[in-house]
Amino acid sequence: MTGEPTVFVVDDDEAMRDSLQWLLRSVGLAVDCFASAEAFLAAYDPRRPGCLVLDVRMPGMSGLELQQRLADQGSALPVIVITGHGDVPMAVRAMKAGAIDFIEKPFNNQALLERVGAAVRASTASLAEQAQAREIRARLEALTPREREVAWAVAAGKQNKAIAFELGISPKTVEVHRHNAMEKMGAATAADLARMLTLSGRLE
Amino acid sequence: MRSLRPFIVLLLWLVAGVAVAAPAPQVVTIGVLAFLGAERSLSEWAPTRAALERALPGHSFELIPLDIAGTRRAVANGDIDFLITNPGNYVELEAAYGVSRIATLDGGDAVASVIFTRADRADLGGLDDLKGASFMAVDRNAFGGFQVAWRELVDRRIDPFTDLRLRFSGFPMDQVVQAVGEGSADAGAVRACLLERMAAEGRIRLADFKLLHQARSPEVDCLLSSRVYPDWPFAKLAGTPPALAKQVATALLAMEPPAGQPGWTVPLDYQSVHELMRTLQIGPYAELGQPTLVQLLRRYWHWLLVVAAGLAWGAIHLWRVEHLVRLRTAELELALAERQRAEERERLQRQEMDHVSRLSILGEMAGNLAHELNQPLAAITNYADGCALRLEKGSVQRDELLDTTHRIAEQAKRAGRIIQRIRSFVRKRDSVRVPFDLSEAVREAADFFEGQARRRGVPMTLRLEEGLPPVDGDRIQVQQVVLNLLQNAVEAMDDTPPRQRALRVTTLRRPGGVAVWVEDRGCGLSAAARDKLFEPYFTTKPEGIGLGLALSRSIIEAHGGRLWADENDDRGITMKATLPAAQEKHG
Repeated sequence: MTGEPTVFVVDDDEAMRDSLQWLLRSVGLAVDCFASAEAFLAAYDPRRPGCLVLDVRMPGMSGLELQQRLADQGSALPVIVITGHGDVPMAVRAMKAGAIDFIEKPFNNQALLERVGAAVRASTASLAEQAQAREIRARLEALTPREREVAWAVAAGKQNKAIAFELGISPKTVEVHRHNAMEKMGAATAADLARMLTLSGRLE
Repeated sequence: MRSLRPFIVLLLWLVAGVAVAAPAPQVVTIGVLAFLGAERSLSEWAPTRAALERALPGHSFELIPLDIAGTRRAVANGDIDFLITNPGNYVELEAAYGVSRIATLDGGDAVASVIFTRADRADLGGLDDLKGASFMAVDRNAFGGFQVAWRELVDRRIDPFTDLRLRFSGFPMDQVVQAVGEGSADAGAVRACLLERMAAEGRIRLADFKLLHQARSPEVDCLLSSRVYPDWPFAKLAGTPPALAKQVATALLAMEPPAGQPGWTVPLDYQSVHELMRTLQIGPYAELGQPTLVQLLRRYWHWLLVVAAGLAWGAIHLWRVEHLVRLRTAELELALAERQRAEERERLQRQEMDHVSRLSILGEMAGNLAHELNQPLAAITNYADGCALRLEKGSVQRDELLDTTHRIAEQAKRAGRIIQRIRSFVRKRDSVRVPFDLSEAVREAADFFEGQARRRGVPMTLRLEEGLPPVDGDRIQVQQVVLNLLQNAVEAMDDTPPRQRALRVTTLRRPGGVAVWVEDRGCGLSAAARDKLFEPYFTTKPEGIGLGLALSRSIIEAHGGRLWADENDDRGITMKATLPAAQEKHG
C-alpha cells in the first residue's frame, strides 16, 4: 500500500521549516513539518513513501538518535540530514548511521531539490517494489504445493519433460499445473514468472 | 564817642610831631644777655653804652636785656642791631644766623670754671669721686658757670646729667657757693674768680673750699679747674649796616673803661668754644645729639649684624621655602600629570583588555555565530528559490507570494539583529551608565547564546523574575558577563552525559539589589581552579586566554556588585553575580 510521497521536514527552527516547506511545495511535493524528532516519530507511518529532511542538531532527541530509532524499526525511509556550517564530523556520523545524503546550510537549493526528488523516487520505488513483492508472495501462497514446485522449476528454465521426470508425474499433469500457476501468478511468460519469483525472493 | 575824639587827635598829633621832629637821633639797639636781671645788665654795660654814644653822636644806643631764648628771637627777627652774649650762645647764633663778632670783652673775669667742694670733704679727692654725689651749678646755659665745667667732666667720662645728682641754683652764682659751703650740695661749679671775689668781700673763706681739679693758666690768677676760653663777644647781626658796625667797632676798641671794669679788644678766636660745644653736643652741634646713621652703626654694629643676619636668614629661609614650595608644586603637578597619564593608560588598557576579552569570547562564539546567521540566510534562500520556481512554472498565487516576501524581509532583519548584537558586543566603547532591567538584559543575552547552547546539546532554561528594581550600569557590559558565564557553563558540560546536561539561568531579588545565577551540571571546580578562578590568565580551556572571569569580576565589582562561584550539591557549579539597585534620584 503506497500513498502519495511526502517530504517530512524535522527542524526546531520555525523559519527553516516554513521556508523548506515553501521551497519543496514549489516543485509539487507534499510536505509535512515537525518541530521535533519525537513529534515526527509519533506521526510516522512506515508505509508512506517519501523522505526525511532532518536537522542534525536539535534539543531533546537529536537527529542521530532519530536515525537510530528508525533503523531499529527497520524503516526504509531515506534520510537527508541538514548540517550547519563546518559540521563535518556530524555529517560523517549521520552518514554512517544510514543517511543517504547530507547538505550544508545555507543550501544550494537546486541540489537539495534534486536529492529530495531522487530520495522520494527511490523511496517510492522501493516501497512499490516491496508492495509488489508482498503481492507476489501472496499469490505464491495461493498456489498448491504441486503448482508451486512446477512454478519454481519453470522459473528455473526447465522443460516440461524434465519437470515431469523430476517430480514423477506425467508431462500432461505438468502442463496443467504450469497453466494454473501462470494464471494465478499473473505471469505471461516463463520469463515473467522468473522475474516475479526473483522479486519475491528478495523478501527472503 | 565824644571823649575818644580828642584822644585820637592828640595821638595823631604826637605821631606827626615825632615824625616831623628835626633830626631825631638814630636809635641803635644792642641786645644783651642778662642772667642777673635787667637792671644789673643795664648797669653792667652802661659804660659801653656811654662810650658809644660819645663816639657816635647822632646815635642813641639802647640796651635790651634778653634771656637766651630772647637773644635767639631777637636775632632771628632782626629786632636788634648788635648783641652782647656769652661765648656759647654767640657760637650758636653765629652758626645759625650769621652774627659775627666785632670785639671781645677784655679784662673781665676769666671765662673758666672751678669745680670745688668743702675743704673738709675727705671723701671727695678728685673728679672721679664725684660719681653719685650731688652737684650744683648755676644754669644749664651758663657758659663759664656750667658748660665749661661740664666739658671738663665729660673729658673724664663723667656725665653730670646721669652720673651726678645735678641741680641748678639759678642766678646769682653765689648761691652755688653757699650751697656747697652749707653742705646742701656735695660739690659745685662756678665761674672762675668768683670764690676769690666772695672771699675778698669777706663772705667766705677760701680755705674752707678745695678744688676737685686743678688747672693752670699763665694769664689767670684765680683758681681754675678748666681751660680758659675767650670772653664775651660784641657781635653784629648779619643785617647790621657795615658802616655802623665799623663805627661801633672802632669806638669799642678805642674805649677806655673805667678802673676795674672790662674793656673791649679785637675779636678773638672762638674755636675753643666750638670745640667745647662739639664735645658737649650742644649749640650748633646739638644735632650730633641725635645719632647719625654712622654713629648708630658704629655703636650698635654688632646688634645690627645680628639683625642683618636674622633678616638674611629670614630672607633665605623665605626664599628657600618659596623655592621648595615651587619645587613641590612642580613635583606635585608632575605627579598629578603622571597619575592622570597612568590613569588614562590604565583606562585604555582596561578597554583593550575588555576588547580582547570580548573578542576572545567572540572567537569562541564564532562557530555559533556562523550557525546563527545561517538560519535566517538559509530560510531566505529557500523562500526566494521557492518564489522563483513558482514564477517560472507560472503557478503563482499573489497572496502567497506577498506573504513570502514578508517572511524574507523578516529573516533578513533577524540576521541583521544578530549582526547588530555582535557588533555592539565587539565595538570598543566607554561604559555607559543607564538604569536597566536585569531580567531583560539577561533574556537578551540568553537569546543571543541560545544557538550556541543548542549546538553543544545543552538545554537552557530561564527563570527570570519580572519587575526587578532597575540596576544603574552598563547593560552591554553586564550582558558580556552573563555570556561569559553561559559560555563557561556550557563548556564545563562537554563531558557530562547528554541526558544530564542542563543550564539554568535565574534572576532574582536580593537585599539591596538583584542577582543573576548561572547554574550548570558540569565538571565542577578542582582545588586549583577554586583558588584561581578569577585570576587573570588562569584557564582550564586549551585555547582559552583566561581573561573572561577576571574581567567579568572587575565589571561586576565596578558596578558595585560581587561575583563568586558556589558548588552545587550534586554536580557542577552556580556562578552568582549580585548588582546593587539604582539609587533613587532625588529631585
